[in-house]
Amino acid sequence: MPDDITRNRGADEHLIHASLAGNPSAFSTLVERHWNLVFALALSRISNATEAEDIAQESFLKAYTQLSTLRKPSCFAGWLTRITLRECTNTVRRSTRRKAVCGGPMEPQEVLNAVPACAANPGLTSGQADFVRQTVRRLPKNLRELVLLRFMGGFSAVKIAEQLGKRPGTVRVSLHRAYKLLRKDLNPLLEEIGS
Amino acid sequence: MTDCRKYKDLIEKVMDGDISDAEFSELKAHTTTCSSCREELDGFNYMRSVVTEAFSSSKDAEEAGEQVLHHLSLHSLPQSRVPGWRWKSIAAGILLAVGLALGFALGWASSAGPGDVTLAAQVPVKVMDLTGTVLVRHAGFDTWQFLRADSTIHLGDTFHSTGGSGFVLGLDKESTIEVNQNSMLILKSYDEQRQFFLAHGECTADLESPHGPFFIETPHGRVEALGTEFTVTVD
Repeated sequence: MPDDITRNRGADEHLIHASLAGNPSAFSTLVERHWNLVFALALSRISNATEAEDIAQESFLKAYTQLSTLRKPSCFAGWLTRITLRECTNTVRRSTRRKAVCGGPMEPQEVLNAVPACAANPGLTSGQADFVRQTVRRLPKNLRELVLLRFMGGFSAVKIAEQLGKRPGTVRVSLHRAYKLLRKDLNPLLEEIGS
Repeated sequence: MTDCRKYKDLIEKVMDGDISDAEFSELKAHTTTCSSCREELDGFNYMRSVVTEAFSSSKDAEEAGEQVLHHLSLHSLPQSRVPGWRWKSIAAGILLAVGLALGFALGWASSAGPGDVTLAAQVPVKVMDLTGTVLVRHAGFDTWQFLRADSTIHLGDTFHSTGGSGFVLGLDKESTIEVNQNSMLILKSYDEQRQFFLAHGECTADLESPHGPFFIETPHGRVEALGTEFTVTVD
């Protein structure tokens, strides 16, 4: 099979029009279609899976209230990606400010990462899944998003370029750079699982 | 040694998500005999599967959709905005202000404030059966509520059945109207004649015999009940 995830992206436009016409269940179908991508984008910025789910839900609610401002319904996923990443930034900022106001010490990244993630990982142990997430988080921001759009959103390089308003060639080069970095860092795990 | 340049290009296409079914079959056939290409392809697929697993949500996508829908039902739904809506809103605002000023000048101003929205008259319609998530919005209100078995029904109510849901309204002793999933139905009148508007979806009216005037309007025309059972579908 050429790709694990194949979707009819044209249906997004239909669902957006139906949502704007006052059909809320059309929007819930949009949520179903993009939930995995939005959750993964949030989890790539936030260590806690429960918090990432909250951010994903909040991002969809924001998208719903701003749906009438979406200029190109065919680029819904790219638009949703930007909303989610902005929501992550705001959450991190609020969290940092709250800690600063309370006077408590900043929580080190290791402590945050120690929070058990409740993501579903039937094949990987909790530690292995955590290792993969940390490896992806170490990627430069722009590469991280491309990898998740490719793997979790099921978009091809050309479709990612369309969604983000970039050139296909640029996306291809960046994706291959990301793969190279990922493979290098994930190699110990891949060997461990493979052996 | 096999020249693998062509197949390396195909592996790149797999990575980019741009490979066709035919090309993929060709590549798969090649990897049965070429260990180098097989390792490269498997390595990529393996990497993709561990990333996908590590970033998967424990929450089912369908459940997430239902939860968002639940949140939306507690808040106002977005208004569809057509180009120029801002200017139309301003124009409408000016017209409203002029109208109110004239009203006050002529002594017509009501003592009721503009925010006083009252429910339309209650009608003797009951929720007979209910499956899944069905929302109802009263005329003049922005918020949607969940339809429940004990909900009171009012003139102008809009019913929205989500995917996989449905409901039956009891109109009197023996008459019912059954609404299928993904439908929107509005109760327009309920006196000498009973009239519904089906914006989209499907409903089936089962009326007692004899019955009074009964109509179901749709965006495409009006259906009058002559018999006792009929179904209306609007795509």
